[in-house]
Amino acid sequence: MKLARQKDGLWQYHLAQNEADVLVGLLKKFPFTKIDEVKISKTDKHPKAREREKLLNESLAEHRKELKKLAQALIRPDKFKRQEKGFLMTLSLEERETMLQILNDIRVGSWHVLGEPEELHSHAPQTDAKDLTYRSLIDLAGYFECALLELED
Amino acid sequence: MPTVLEPVTKPVIKKKPKFDDDLAPTFYVICWNDPVNLMVYVTHVFMRIFGWNKQKAEKHMMEVHEKGKSVLVREGAEKAEFYVHQLQNYKLQATMEPTE
Repeated sequence: MKLARQKDGLWQYHLAQNEADVLVGLLKKFPFTKIDEVKISKTDKHPKAREREKLLNESLAEHRKELKKLAQALIRPDKFKRQEKGFLMTLSLEERETMLQILNDIRVGSWHVLGEPEELHSHAPQTDAKDLTYRSLIDLAGYFECALLELED
Repeated sequence: MPTVLEPVTKPVIKKKPKFDDDLAPTFYVICWNDPVNLMVYVTHVFMRIFGWNKQKAEKHMMEVHEKGKSVLVREGAEKAEFYVHQLQNYKLQATMEPTE
């Protein structure tokens, strides 16, 4: 996947057939993990902090639902124009941000499932299917994130 | 007859805050390091949310990476909460910590 051009608030990327298949697959099956509760503060013991934390987690759950809807919109056929070699994907500024958030949700969610390891790439041979799946998701989502952010100023 | 002056006690005038907001608590919005968020992604999110240029965003990203955390802004409760929501939507580990 490579940035083809960026003009008038639109980003266009070339994708090979296999890249388009994988990206569409990721978006179609999103989300891959359950949503994790987060802390709003590490030090604040005030009762208001608990209220804020509850609101934050509710808001993140809503946001996840919205991302799921938007993920389906991102795989509409008109987003991917067939070319001689692969596809040309066109994204608006908002769609590009949405795609980044979805991909990073996949990455961070998979990391949580793996037990938040410090080392993302284990040198030991991986035989556990679940482990392999989530490590692959981290790599794939990271690959597309980097491609989306290529040449950013 | 000489007049005796009584000692004058100056009244204690408490300094009044200029604005009510002066009394409101403030918070540091902090981003914490983790091994999963990509450096290029963190820089992008800082630029997007705070409107920073790449140089400033990269400075804070490197601080997160090397020191384990970076104080991004100091704000009142409402705005700090808003920024934490924004950063968490991008799955960055962000919290708001009271300044006092």
